[in-house]
Amino acid sequence: MASNSNGSDVLGRYQVSPLRMEIDRFVIPAVTIFIALLLSFFMLFPLSAILKLSFFKGGEFALSNFTLDNFQKYFTTGYTLRALWHSLYVAFTTTIIVTVITFFFAYGMTRTTIAGKAFFRNIIMMPLVAPSIVQALALIYLFGRNGLITAHLFQTDWSIYGPTGIIVSEVLYCLPHSYVILYTTLSAVDIRLDEAAESLGATPFKVFTRITLPSAKYGIFSAAALTFNLTITDFGNPVVIGGDYNVLATEIYAQVTNLYRFDLGATISIILLVPSLMAFVLNYYISRKSFSMISGAAKPVIPPSRPLKKFGYTTFCSLIALSIIVIFVTVVFGSFVKVWPYDWSLTLQHYQFPSIAGYSALWTSVWVSLVVGIAGAFLTLVAGYVMETRKPFLKQFVYLLSVMPAAIPGLVMGLGYILAFNKPHYFFYGTPWIIVINIIICNFTLGILSSISNLRNIDPSVEEASISLGGDTFRTFFKIIFPLSRVAFFQNFLYFFMRSMTTISAVIFLVSATVHLAAIEIIMLDNDGWTASANAMCTCIILIVLAMLGVLKIVSLKTGGGMKGLTAEV
Amino acid sequence: MKKAILSVLCVMLLIVAAVTGATAKDQVVIYTSLENEEVVDYLELAKKELPDLDIQAIRLSTGELGARMLAEKENPQADCIWGWAVTNMSEFVPKGMLKPYKPKGWDKIPAKFKDPNGYWTAIDLYAAAIVPNTKVLEEKGLPMPKGWNDLLNPAYKGMLIMPNPASSGTGFLQVASLLVLLDPDYKNKPVEENKAWDFLKKLDKNMGQYIKSGSKPAKLTAAGEYAIGCSFAFVYSSLKKKGFPVALVMPEEGAGYELEANALLKGARHEKAAMKFLDWAISQSAMKQYATFKLGVTYPGIPGPEDLPALETIKLAPMDFPWQSKNREKILEVWQNLFLK
Repeated sequence: MASNSNGSDVLGRYQVSPLRMEIDRFVIPAVTIFIALLLSFFMLFPLSAILKLSFFKGGEFALSNFTLDNFQKYFTTGYTLRALWHSLYVAFTTTIIVTVITFFFAYGMTRTTIAGKAFFRNIIMMPLVAPSIVQALALIYLFGRNGLITAHLFQTDWSIYGPTGIIVSEVLYCLPHSYVILYTTLSAVDIRLDEAAESLGATPFKVFTRITLPSAKYGIFSAAALTFNLTITDFGNPVVIGGDYNVLATEIYAQVTNLYRFDLGATISIILLVPSLMAFVLNYYISRKSFSMISGAAKPVIPPSRPLKKFGYTTFCSLIALSIIVIFVTVVFGSFVKVWPYDWSLTLQHYQFPSIAGYSALWTSVWVSLVVGIAGAFLTLVAGYVMETRKPFLKQFVYLLSVMPAAIPGLVMGLGYILAFNKPHYFFYGTPWIIVINIIICNFTLGILSSISNLRNIDPSVEEASISLGGDTFRTFFKIIFPLSRVAFFQNFLYFFMRSMTTISAVIFLVSATVHLAAIEIIMLDNDGWTASANAMCTCIILIVLAMLGVLKIVSLKTGGGMKGLTAEV
Repeated sequence: MKKAILSVLCVMLLIVAAVTGATAKDQVVIYTSLENEEVVDYLELAKKELPDLDIQAIRLSTGELGARMLAEKENPQADCIWGWAVTNMSEFVPKGMLKPYKPKGWDKIPAKFKDPNGYWTAIDLYAAAIVPNTKVLEEKGLPMPKGWNDLLNPAYKGMLIMPNPASSGTGFLQVASLLVLLDPDYKNKPVEENKAWDFLKKLDKNMGQYIKSGSKPAKLTAAGEYAIGCSFAFVYSSLKKKGFPVALVMPEEGAGYELEANALLKGARHEKAAMKFLDWAISQSAMKQYATFKLGVTYPGIPGPEDLPALETIKLAPMDFPWQSKNREKILEVWQNLFLK
């Protein structure tokens, strides 16, 4: 943010006690240092534990202990090496499919005049409210070896277990994430370019390949990089539907829990970090460039589409929406069916969870998610503010730290937490707090990015007025910035709340005898073969998240803050 | 705005209070790899009989439990282990992570079911079993198997499912029993040269999937996803009770089995409470409860569940616990290299 007045100079002309001014000078650096330390300690330190364990014998940091044995073992063992190819294959295929689908979906939403756009937009965001494994659970009910469609409709022996299942479920899981980026891109690009080309006589195909695609290319790359990252780091879907088909994320878990090979688990973590970091850096580089392509004069008026185009896009969007609806209906309905697909009578018996935690896991999840939501939203807002303030301190460093979590797979972070913090003097280990911190850190990136973009929308003169009227940093923040960021705060709260209710990979190593989480219970229930109860737990989570969405909608209507883009933002 | 911030702070404080809410009871933290279904049942009784204990438990798979203990070596989070495979337990004795404790009533447990120094005390025995889906067998015109050898029948191609021995204790005991059964000379040769691997390679041709958990093969078979699941005995009875078309086959060659034992952890934060729990866990009333699920319990004179065959009538495989415990990692390595796709 460009500062056009010198803060302290302005302050000096008004009567503020010199002591308070002195203190005020240190507020921004102090808060910045606090955030930098927080991120370093809870992100870099666990990562360093993983690096140490993979490169040094026994995890003891010393030059003489340096070894590449773990990597050699990884690359010479058939099934661990195959996990890498499996991961790359699944991630690339998913990326291509998702990017193509969401591009045309976003195109349908922004460039055509099809009916029911609000409906389509809401449906494609649906996967966000459920744990990522909801897709895999539903697909097994529909296309498993005894699936409704495979075994009973077509009576075939084919089943979806393995790479096909992983790819289909990842595609459905990644749709909303990719769609948000492409929707923003396509609505920001000036549509008049297309019109101009068309009136100069270009065929629709030519307009599409020469104008539309190139103008959206940065958005496309960015969406693809995000999808790649989400897919290669996901643990839930492969573990449920992958069958014998191992990927890097499941292999990390298998090495640690089956063979007690923490060193190999750490090594595979490093190997998984390479592609996900690469995708992240690519995305970071591209998303910086993409701003230059967005025209401020973009015009939202869309000329009526030709009937055929309208029909084509309506069909396409309906098909995508239908697949998502089918997934959700299957899981929710499946949780009430007595014995799928033999006995269709309805029952509530699956809601008596056959697990130690049962409903208490659900309540713990709600408490933890509320704390994560409030603390995460507040922390990212403060972090965004100190970075965007007129006198930022260590801005680049803190920014880099804040966006890094997006590149680190949740499972890797979880493993790092065990390795780094399981010492008697880290009193928070084994308490809910380590889970709260872990979830906030893992999802810091999106929170901070949306805080920053929101802060940039606040007219700097409001803040300047506050300062020239004698407001110090604290007052400016709480009286001006915080109220004006209310919408962004709620959005971030919702984002953190949803992530915390649904995340699996980051916390699977951190749940304990005293802290059970609902999303992890789903994995455990499914793993024990209680698929219907896993569906029931999924349904509970979906209901809670939807209820929270409803509550926030009502709150925002009452307080007058526009929350229209609430779901679209996250 | 101040009001809003204040109310947010209040909410947070309330949450903090709720999350960390301390109870007056003595806490005891338990890791167990008994099946969720049974644990829920046992804990109900435990809470009744130990009213002054605040029992916090987590159910982990056999492998997960070991990994947790290793990870937490410097800072044990659990106080005791309840119902964990003796094969894995014996691996941990030399690591110095267990503390000898002879619970009240220890003398009543026969010597073969406990560590002489009191490092662990077994509570039950559970055995491998083959669980076919009778409806699927009928529909496809397949014969009912009698034991492991019958499973090599090419007609079963793709219709078998068994647990992955690396993640499941049940899977491990199945493989370990075959290693001992099919190669009497197993002790005098390297693990990878065992004759049982040839058998498992043939079995692999019929295998539809190796799955993470030991009970899931039976459950998926019950749901009709597979024709025959290699699992363990009590999961059969709970499925049968629920009305699934399943049968129980104890392999005629000899059923592999495993003991499940309790132990006290060194450095337990709530040692006294843990000892109280361990006393209860081998008491007669606890054992009676175990016996409603398990094929056999270690407390003498308690019969197993009615819907399972009596332990004396079952031909058990000759298990060599010290050998399989010592070679666990090697066995898994060979298995993984052969059968993981």
